Amino acid sequence: MKGFTFHKPRSLKEALAMLKEADGKAKIMAGGTDLLGAMKDGIMQPERLINLQEIPDLANIRPDNDRLHLGALVSLHEITVHPSIQKRFGILAQAAQEVGSPQLRNMGTLGGNLCQRPRCWYYRGDFVCLKRGGDQCFAVTGQNKYHAVIEGGPCFIVHPSDTAPALLAMDASVRIAGPDGEKIAALEKFFMTPRDNVTRENILEPDQILTEIMVPLPREGSRGIYLKARERRCWDFALASVALLLNIDDGICQEIRLVLGGIAPIPFRASKAEEVLKGKPIEIELIDQACRMALSGARPLASNAYKLELTQALIKQALLTLSNK
Amino acid sequence: MLPNASGKVVVTVGRRVKTRVEEEGKIEEINVELPHEDLPPWEEKNLVWVGKGIPRVDGFEKCTGKAKYTYDIHLPGMLYGKILRCPHPHARLIRLDTSKAQRLSGVKAILSQENAPPIPWYNDSFLFDRTLRCVGEEVAAVAAVDEYIARDALDMIEAEYESLPFVVDPEEALRPGAPPVRPGGNLLDGKPIIYSRGEIEQGFDEADLIIEENFSTQVQAHACMETHGSVVNWEGDHLTIWESTQGVSDVREGMAKALGIPISKVRVIKDFMGGGFGSKTREGKYTVIAALLAKMTGRPVKLMLDRKEEFYATGHRPSSLQYVKAGVKKDGSLTAIYLRSIGACGAYETPLFPSKFSMIDALARPYRELYHCPNVKTEVYPVYNNIPVHTAQRAPGHVEGTFALEQVMDQAAHQLGMDPIALRMKNYALKDQVEDFPYTRKALDQCYQKGAEKIQWEKRNKKPGEKKALICEGIGMAGQIWGGGGGPPAYAIIKINQDGTANLLTGTQDIGTGSKTVFVQIASEELGISPKDITITLGDTETTPYAPRSSGSRTVPSVGPAVRSAAADAKRQLLDLAGSILDSKAEDLAIREGQIYLKNNPTRKIPLKEITQKMGNNMIMGVGSRGPNPPQAAINVFGAQFAHVAVNTATGEVRVLKVVSIHDAGRVINSMTLNNQIEGGIVQGMGYGLMEEVIWDKGTGIMLTPNLHAYKLPTMLDIPEVVPGVAEGSDPANNIGAKGIGEPPKIPTAPAIANAIYNAIGVRLKELPITPDKVLRALKI
Repeated sequence: MKGFTFHKPRSLKEALAMLKEADGKAKIMAGGTDLLGAMKDGIMQPERLINLQEIPDLANIRPDNDRLHLGALVSLHEITVHPSIQKRFGILAQAAQEVGSPQLRNMGTLGGNLCQRPRCWYYRGDFVCLKRGGDQCFAVTGQNKYHAVIEGGPCFIVHPSDTAPALLAMDASVRIAGPDGEKIAALEKFFMTPRDNVTRENILEPDQILTEIMVPLPREGSRGIYLKARERRCWDFALASVALLLNIDDGICQEIRLVLGGIAPIPFRASKAEEVLKGKPIEIELIDQACRMALSGARPLASNAYKLELTQALIKQALLTLSNK
Repeated sequence: MLPNASGKVVVTVGRRVKTRVEEEGKIEEINVELPHEDLPPWEEKNLVWVGKGIPRVDGFEKCTGKAKYTYDIHLPGMLYGKILRCPHPHARLIRLDTSKAQRLSGVKAILSQENAPPIPWYNDSFLFDRTLRCVGEEVAAVAAVDEYIARDALDMIEAEYESLPFVVDPEEALRPGAPPVRPGGNLLDGKPIIYSRGEIEQGFDEADLIIEENFSTQVQAHACMETHGSVVNWEGDHLTIWESTQGVSDVREGMAKALGIPISKVRVIKDFMGGGFGSKTREGKYTVIAALLAKMTGRPVKLMLDRKEEFYATGHRPSSLQYVKAGVKKDGSLTAIYLRSIGACGAYETPLFPSKFSMIDALARPYRELYHCPNVKTEVYPVYNNIPVHTAQRAPGHVEGTFALEQVMDQAAHQLGMDPIALRMKNYALKDQVEDFPYTRKALDQCYQKGAEKIQWEKRNKKPGEKKALICEGIGMAGQIWGGGGGPPAYAIIKINQDGTANLLTGTQDIGTGSKTVFVQIASEELGISPKDITITLGDTETTPYAPRSSGSRTVPSVGPAVRSAAADAKRQLLDLAGSILDSKAEDLAIREGQIYLKNNPTRKIPLKEITQKMGNNMIMGVGSRGPNPPQAAINVFGAQFAHVAVNTATGEVRVLKVVSIHDAGRVINSMTLNNQIEGGIVQGMGYGLMEEVIWDKGTGIMLTPNLHAYKLPTMLDIPEVVPGVAEGSDPANNIGAKGIGEPPKIPTAPAIANAIYNAIGVRLKELPITPDKVLRALKI
């Protein structure tokens, strides 16, 4: 790791000023669980680290009438144990519980989990790949069992977050602070595909800070589930994951939001599958059809086609569970 | 020799005999001096300490952080060493400019091919060589006042390479026209290693059923918690080395040879260590580099590898491809076994074992030995490829070979409609068919039986995959054969102190397995002194007599008998002394739990302490040595493991619910450390079976998994319930009746899991590790 200076702003304003002044040479730090690893591996070599942990309010959990406000520095552990999150925003609590290990959930933050860099072993290894300014994605012809099956190219990372699919399923939005003030963006518009920009995974500019995540209260009767398949039982990213929010009334699917993790460079909303079910009675045949549609257009690489069946299996399990089939 | 209590000088008359000693399949005939006394086996009913699960004598130090590891050694004025490694899979170093790094403040020395002595290393290469054959090979090294400066200095060294053609895939490396990894072709010694007995084709002709399958096993890393490394200090021409090692004596010998100094000038110390698993059996390049840097600077040097180097530069279990063909008759008897295998050496031959006993060939041994079969042929192709050199890892070869062989047996049982255990009993080998020797003991039948009871074998699916469900459960089993008999030379000394306590000294080491505790128990048993009154010194070549490295599951069976022999020697002297003080004959006396008593009237006793107090500064010293192994006999450890698994047929995820593990390791000295070894072996075997894999990018020769996240070790949540057990009784092979248990529990874990998966879903998984993608693919076919 290269030497760096460590800064502890006391306010968001101060942090933003530091960030602007550093002119791209600084990184902000929340839990540090991803950043410090990336620095040790030489993937990032910031001259300055701006620690957000001492800024008041960034770690608050605040429910109001119609939504939940989560500071970007709320720890993943807190989300898993918070009673009203467990009760009203169950998918998020479930997804946070699936992140890493207890140690990582203690240190890791929600904002950090959304902004973490991909785990692609080429990106994390000794390769100058597209994402690191090179001219090729080594996964295309290399070892690609963990890579994207849909929305890939020119880079084939998968988005590693567990909480992102859950938050997207709940139609969350994010508050972003920058030198010119604040803005709110739908989470759906937050993530970027490699086609948009291969060097980053979201819309955050180097002088901006993600400060808050807002989650609308799901409508009465909605149920949610988060399922994750992996190679070992903890401290492992998803081979594929499914976040599903479903509202069934009178046996009819009133609302459905189905978001997939671990299979695309962004948390992938399976709109085609949603369309199959929305406004219709939930039947086994329709569920099967939705599973088939979920990844239509997928183009697997040499070693990752299994993700198609795997994802379909998870979607089916999620739909069957929530519809009590 | 030392005067005994009666003042007589006891002289051991040298009687040298030849004996056969096995280490990880390497068999040697050596000369050994007979111990002074041929001790009869212990009487089971009289045992006080042996067999008990007493807690580790060093448990307190380990749990409280007081235990000092090599990493913890800090000497005044110490410098830190770091190694520059080659980024190319095959290259020639054409220019090296260290001048900028040299000028960095805090840098004290730089070592490279330019100024290092040409110390021979792998094959015909040198410590620093201009030809580099894998990513991670040593190019230069720096000593600096701190680690960060040393690292920065590495970045300032300018190295220019000429890239050479390379090959990563072992099969490709064997093809005509493949890039040569070394001069002389990519096949080790230019020919396969062939073993043959009987007439293989005739054997297949006699068969009613032929099973043919292809298997592949991956590269597994040792992933030691404490990385490899050394702290070295020269005092004049005397070199002291603290090394995280499985063999202090081997490091001493290797370092003396590398540096061209007498072994008496080298002292190697290892107190506590965080794992070796076969990768720390001798000095590393880092040890020599540290010693040279220390010599250049006149200061102590610490050189510990970082995690990435640990993955790259410390060896691994080699990968294998195995084509197996087996013939059986309707009644289950094997008529022929044929194996053709390709094993990847990496860029060199492992220096541990010459090609005659190539570790790559070790995978063929279970095929030759586990079952009675008159016609066996094994044909193994060790191939060079441009990845780092392999090394021994916990039961080298047997783990890979047994994975395939035991699935073939399971498949044969299934196709014949036989119980897999019945098939194994039908082919029970009563002797070592390679050496044509009887076994000193083989209680594998007991292991099968006991294991079957504990797993409830009758609850397995009668027809594999008969139940269709989201989660399918299944039960499977596999057996194992391993060496683990140990042998000479090994020595121990016991000093009896005035206060009735004893010091035990022996040149072996405790690599985390609990050997300290086991040896204290053996000494306690023989001496009649409580374990709490015995301290043990080991892991130091200067203060202890020779004992072998801890490999091949041989520490207890090699050193244990020497410890008992030393204790018996000390006891004899103690009883002589007691006899003279108590005016009794020594042979009428005995010691038990710190009391000396009359054999024919145990109520007449006197505390040992009262006798030893009278010694003043006269000392009692017991000296013991390991006797020869029984002639014309094979000593092996056997065992059987049973796995109960649950397979999610939709996601391909496999959970191991339970593993029952029963081994014939002879007498158990400490039931707790025995269980630790069984549990550890199963965890490592399960990791091998389901998730661990070192993966290389074939286009660049760069490792994709050089960290503990990408390289997946099992976590606590993955570990199944483990039910450990043993076949009762002791082995007549040595005076303590024990064999080694360090490696055996790993061997049958992956095949038991694979057979359980087959039982659950009716599909056979033949490629390791068995990850969800492979299960899903197999289910689809």
